[in-house]
Amino acid sequence: MIRPVLFALLLTGAAVAQVNHEEIAKGAGENWLTYAGTYAGWRYSPLQQINAANVRNVVPKWVYHVPGARGLQSSPIVYQGVLYVTAPNSIYAVDGRTGRLIWRYADPRAKANGANRGAAIWQDKVYFTTTDNYLVALNRHTGALIFNKQYADVAKGTTSTSAPVIAKGKVIVGSSGGDGGMRGFLMALSADTGEELWKTYTIPAKGEKGSETWGDLIDWGGGATWLSGTYDPALNTLYWTTGNPWPDYNGSVRPGDNLYSCSLLALDLDTGKMKWYFQFTPHDTHDWDAQSWPVLLDTEIAGKPRKAVLHANRNGFFYALDRVTGEFLRATPLIDKVTWAKGIDAKGRPIELPNIEPSAEGRWICPSVKGATNWMGQSYNPGTGLLYVLTLEQCGMYFRSSQQPQPMKNFSGGGATEEGGQVILRALNPKTGLRVWEYPMTGLGRMWTGTVSTAGGVIFSGDDDGNLLALDAKNGKHLWHFNVGEMLTASPVVYSIDGKQYVAIASASAVFSFGLFEPAESITSPVIEIKKK
Amino acid sequence: MYLSDSKHPAIGNPEAIAAGTKLFMGSCAGCHGPDGGGGARGPNLVRRSLWHPLSDENIFAVIRNGVADMPATKLPDDQTWNLVAFIHSLTGPASTNPVPGDAAAGKAIYWGAKAGCSNCHSIRGQGGSMGPDLSNIGGSRPLAVIRESVVEPAKDLYYLGNEAATVELKNGQTLEGVAKNRSNYSLQLVDTKGALHLIQMRDVKKLTVSDTTPMPTDFAKRFSRTELRDLLAYLAKQDIRGKESAQ
Repeated sequence: MIRPVLFALLLTGAAVAQVNHEEIAKGAGENWLTYAGTYAGWRYSPLQQINAANVRNVVPKWVYHVPGARGLQSSPIVYQGVLYVTAPNSIYAVDGRTGRLIWRYADPRAKANGANRGAAIWQDKVYFTTTDNYLVALNRHTGALIFNKQYADVAKGTTSTSAPVIAKGKVIVGSSGGDGGMRGFLMALSADTGEELWKTYTIPAKGEKGSETWGDLIDWGGGATWLSGTYDPALNTLYWTTGNPWPDYNGSVRPGDNLYSCSLLALDLDTGKMKWYFQFTPHDTHDWDAQSWPVLLDTEIAGKPRKAVLHANRNGFFYALDRVTGEFLRATPLIDKVTWAKGIDAKGRPIELPNIEPSAEGRWICPSVKGATNWMGQSYNPGTGLLYVLTLEQCGMYFRSSQQPQPMKNFSGGGATEEGGQVILRALNPKTGLRVWEYPMTGLGRMWTGTVSTAGGVIFSGDDDGNLLALDAKNGKHLWHFNVGEMLTASPVVYSIDGKQYVAIASASAVFSFGLFEPAESITSPVIEIKKK
Repeated sequence: MYLSDSKHPAIGNPEAIAAGTKLFMGSCAGCHGPDGGGGARGPNLVRRSLWHPLSDENIFAVIRNGVADMPATKLPDDQTWNLVAFIHSLTGPASTNPVPGDAAAGKAIYWGAKAGCSNCHSIRGQGGSMGPDLSNIGGSRPLAVIRESVVEPAKDLYYLGNEAATVELKNGQTLEGVAKNRSNYSLQLVDTKGALHLIQMRDVKKLTVSDTTPMPTDFAKRFSRTELRDLLAYLAKQDIRGKESAQ
């Protein structure tokens, strides 16, 4: 038998592999170390064992049913063959080759409800946030708690849903709850202790610059940061988008542009100081959070090389900005039917059409409240030079309520409905903003599955019917699909262990992992000796 | 896991628990046993499936309305809550109940050499990786279960998933540690340095596992009653939602 004394002696043994900045910064490969795979937000994998020619031989390798899960939104983190998958207030470490649970950590007493979109990893720790804003750090090998620390107060309307992003030892956490009245922020916490390093509000305080774009409700103005952002190590800048102003559908109580809601913020990683901002939808009244994350890409735009940031917005337009200066470069239609704006002017401001604010009788506007796209992950593939974005062609009615706004009472100042709809996966050329091809997907647009694309020339995504599907990244041709038998509400990731490539995705209640077919091999049990104590 | 969000003032109140104890001994112990450990007619209330949530309101409703063969009661609300408070003290997380003993003295015992708990167990990042993490032991287990795990660690199946294991691989490498999982096909092992290994059984030449827990089984002899009580008081305070920390 192994005596505890022996364990004690070995605790200070050789260093175990640790996730460092360089490893995350180089992007996905065998591992998938940050929410979007790369700091630049590409959801791209250089793996090519599974490719356009052989993807038809892909089969399921294992399924892990997450206990009690419904509507999982988690994008797994993968390190050395272990998948870290979150559900609300819990996280599971799963063997990436077999789907066997290694450990789980649960905090069922967390207050507040909501989704969880994923974990983060740094050195020897795995991180996630609870619905009530605790940053939880766990030993990645054993799931043992290292620390948990509450960084924001649920009593102020803030909850947490997004995956943290870790850059140079700073854990960047966002804020959710913008539809019920709260003041959005982005925070950096120490990866070692959870201590607050900086906090930047997305809505100015009364009297601060920008506060003149609000009325009296500024303290509850929303501007949540409910999806992970991106990071440029060379510029040491975080790019984070902000959500809708509150109350969502009643703009009459918040006269002005409502800065910095529905915007893209460029923040210094070390200080949280705002370098620049760009507001996509001033004075939004349609709940068009600017949530889809900013994709960082060095490319040529209008004949000039640019350090660009690309953003597909819920409001129906696809934007390109200069990510050094925030200069607006271009906006093109993301979907066919946009009825609230004629276009975007030379400074990047929408040219609004009349009668677009929600009313008591309802206003028919395209896109619908779900938006032309939403938080499902887009993918940029350097091999094809294309950006793949899930879009939704859908219109809906928008209503305004005359009730007095009440923060934190689930009050949104009105409501919206959607009708019909068609999800279309679109391949966009970042240089021009124009579509290269498109693939209409099954379904009316419950659409919450994202994309991943690979050096093997394949895009993986999912549809409303529960199909994980593979398309040819060059031309959008269907190559393969597999029905997981339930709703897909998360984005796929790609990883490799023991020289074998896998594609994994969380469905509503389980994690599926796929790989190339191999004939089964008979396994003979090793000698097993049971030692008596 | 237990739910412990009840705001009823009887929960955790020593007077209510004492009043509930009398009621329990008079009316419930006949079937459920004097310590709630179960009898010929009533189930064990303490050692339920640890993942089955049971709220105080649910316990109240079962006492009031009965369930299966258990009859309904006609107790007034306040007495029913006293009974719930007692049952909560038996079955609810230790951190939500009054626990006897000196937690500060227990802390010294926990981290001291005589107990050696931290050689294998961690609390908030400090300690060993071989045994289960105890950061939330008081927040997730009733006192009776913690006590049994300390005094009779081999009695329950609690250590499953923490088997001491030595793995000889076909490539000549030998790994030693704790098997978190093992089937005929794969094995997930945390080695003595705290590093995780994903192993396929096809790569294993020989596997040696212990038939019992690697935890010492002599704590009842090693410690006085007072020392044990204090150690349990310290463990009972370990709650990821509490303020207590290893530092």
